[in-house]
Amino acid sequence: MIPSSPFLCVITDESFCPVTIAELALKGGAAMIQLRHKSASGSQLFSWAVEIRNLCRIYRALFIINDRVDIAMASEADGVHLGQQDMPANAARTLLGKERIIGVSASSFEEALQAEKDGADYIGFGHIYPTFSKEKGFPPLGTEGLLNAAAFISLPIIAIGGVCLDNAATLISCGASGVAVISAVSRTDDPSRAASELVAAIKWKNS
Amino acid sequence: MEHNKLQGTPLPHLYLISSGQENPDDGTLLLEQLNLLPRTLSFMVQIREKQLNAKQLLTLALNARASNLPVGSLLLINERIDIALAARLDGVHLPENACFPDNLRPLASKMIFGCSVHSPESLHIAEKSGADYLLFGPVFDTPSKRKYGAPQGLEKLGQICRISTLPVFALGGITPENGEFCMAEGAYGIAGLSIFKDTSRFVDTLEQFYRIIFP
Repeated sequence: MIPSSPFLCVITDESFCPVTIAELALKGGAAMIQLRHKSASGSQLFSWAVEIRNLCRIYRALFIINDRVDIAMASEADGVHLGQQDMPANAARTLLGKERIIGVSASSFEEALQAEKDGADYIGFGHIYPTFSKEKGFPPLGTEGLLNAAAFISLPIIAIGGVCLDNAATLISCGASGVAVISAVSRTDDPSRAASELVAAIKWKNS
Repeated sequence: MEHNKLQGTPLPHLYLISSGQENPDDGTLLLEQLNLLPRTLSFMVQIREKQLNAKQLLTLALNARASNLPVGSLLLINERIDIALAARLDGVHLPENACFPDNLRPLASKMIFGCSVHSPESLHIAEKSGADYLLFGPVFDTPSKRKYGAPQGLEKLGQICRISTLPVFALGGITPENGEFCMAEGAYGIAGLSIFKDTSRFVDTLEQFYRIIFP
């Protein structure tokens, strides 16, 4: 299940080995790992997925795969994360059943509402701040966008986009259940420490 | 061995692969081809549109499934068993860099799993992993595969067919003129992509192939 206290989701960075990033993030206390790699082959994804799944079991964290419902099913991941261009959440639900987690990316209030209607378990909402990890064709949603979504949507919201140590706690105060990062963990000298600092920042705010 | 688990009959011998050029906004070439398939024959059809995202693929797969395929035909999709399950397709075709059939079989015990093979080594892996059929190619020169180097040739096709316990479809540059050489090497059937793009000659081409397979 989605953690009930503020949590950190670490998304793998295409420039690094996903298994290494996942393990470092888990050591730092990440409660959710999302395997996201758009250019890897199916067999490569599958073998990474099996390894990361095993690590997540050890660390009692959730393991989610971006887009590839097939790989998530084959590797027995805890769930999938679906973008607006991926399989619709209701179709994925039929395949995955009630127990598996389905997250949906929303970059507007309307998309978030739709995701809730389609039966998503959480919403990846963003980008909140400017980000260089992904090409974006629209301005950041800002904390106002997050406050608004959190007020009207009952699903857990994971804030994403430009999340760092300085703003992570603010996002939790604005109603996010968790925060998701790529580069704030992967592109640091010590990813494990970067993860644990983020975890400390969001937990502290909540206590 | 050459069993279609869905219907208890042998797999069709003619194999149509989608053009790889489906446009998500009209996406009609495949559907046009499916509607043109002669009703008296049966076909293997693979949706292979790597440029489409999963949402577009699901739409195309659902549309293809809704089309009225000739009896005994099998509709497959490249790699994505999730799309196959969601659109109730008959099977999945796995490229060499995809998961193996035994990784996926638990998710869909009744589906047909095909594997692309390019060497005796990959053939053995596919056989051990429980594939139902194999695609081997490119046998001849074909524009869509030129970037991967020289074609494999008839001799290698023959070698693969002789050691395979599974039906082998020959793929790559196959025409009504050279198709009989593939059959003579022991191919189970013929697969094509580029040659089927011209819908004005589509039915004609299929019938010519059919006469080669069943002379």
